[in-house]
Amino acid sequence: MSEKQQTSVQLLMAGLAHEINTPLGAIRSNRDVIQRVIARLSDILADEVVDESEIEQIRGLVKTLGEVIDIDAVAVDVITGLVASVRDCWHPDETTCRCVDLHEGIESTLLLLGHELKHRIEVVREYGEIPPVECYPSQLNQVFMNLILNASQAIAGEGKITIRTRSSGEDAIVEISDTGSGIASENLERIFDAGFTTKTTKSGMGLGLRICKEIIERQGGRIEVESVVGEGSTFRVSLPLKTVE
Amino acid sequence: MSDRVATILIVDDEEMVTTALRSFLQLETSYRVLTFTSPAQALQSVDNEPVDVVIADFMMPELDGIAFLKAMREKRPEASRILLTGYADKENAIRAINEAGLYYYLEKPWDNDHLQVVVRNGVERAELFRQLDAKVSELESAHDDLAGFRKRLIRAFV
Repeated sequence: MSEKQQTSVQLLMAGLAHEINTPLGAIRSNRDVIQRVIARLSDILADEVVDESEIEQIRGLVKTLGEVIDIDAVAVDVITGLVASVRDCWHPDETTCRCVDLHEGIESTLLLLGHELKHRIEVVREYGEIPPVECYPSQLNQVFMNLILNASQAIAGEGKITIRTRSSGEDAIVEISDTGSGIASENLERIFDAGFTTKTTKSGMGLGLRICKEIIERQGGRIEVESVVGEGSTFRVSLPLKTVE
Repeated sequence: MSDRVATILIVDDEEMVTTALRSFLQLETSYRVLTFTSPAQALQSVDNEPVDVVIADFMMPELDGIAFLKAMREKRPEASRILLTGYADKENAIRAINEAGLYYYLEKPWDNDHLQVVVRNGVERAELFRQLDAKVSELESAHDDLAGFRKRLIRAFV
């Protein structure tokens, strides 16, 4: 991995750490609460006599236990989902082509980018019907991640990213549109070139659109772009519905 | 110190955080604990309620934690304001201290014993603030009484 690519991953890692910190904070606090409740229950039971007021206390303590354990279940689900998304999107040695629902990959990607998008960008899903597509899902998810991350970074302040999917003839089509700054026409032809960028290191570099294009083409697909400066850009990925390779 | 029960208001868009904090505070303290996942609703709620300590998440929809605490400062200046954040971000910490008159900056994941001490001190601080406010009002009304007395005195003898 080049030095340039690292910054994008670092950005994602920082976001992911923050996303995990929230459920982790709840679990940590709850574990402490459970220990305290157990200590109190042991105290009450120590003299082997339980009176009326102690029964009231026990009821309250049991209720607290129920509450924190329910929250732990939610928190563990959140972390499990994040970890599953990492697995879906980072599979460096992916060698097998699999038949997958593209929507699942897009959702995993959105979950991983949650921290980058949350509270700033509205994500609109206009999902159509697409049959399962035979592809290298982890590589493809990295392409989606790059396109969505680019879209997010093209938007200064608040905005909208629309993800449209459909099948058209023999292709599955995924479009990612943003309400960002757009790409100047003189740059539009060069964005898929190696080494071309208008980004500063602060915003983080992705895989690069050239590598995205290579990944898509290796799977028999195409990537196209339309953009209007000041209105936004749309990247369209078309993938063959028939088996490739 | 008065015998009134202190109120702790907690705002975080993640219910797992508000519930975890509430469960702990209700187990270990006798404070009244109010929790909200919407900063706007939390702000509305204090129109008719006294508040001693406000704990707010940094990243929230509608209003970020600093803007929320700033608005809270306008409405309930006596409440001690605590920012709870997943970021160890110096820039935002300084912004919060300056703009929202922050009392304390807590990081996620937090330690319950530490949180309890911070909240207890926050409650005491709010109570002192209230007492000071009452004394200032007393002084002001005493000053007004004296001024009135002085006027009457001048009118009677001059």
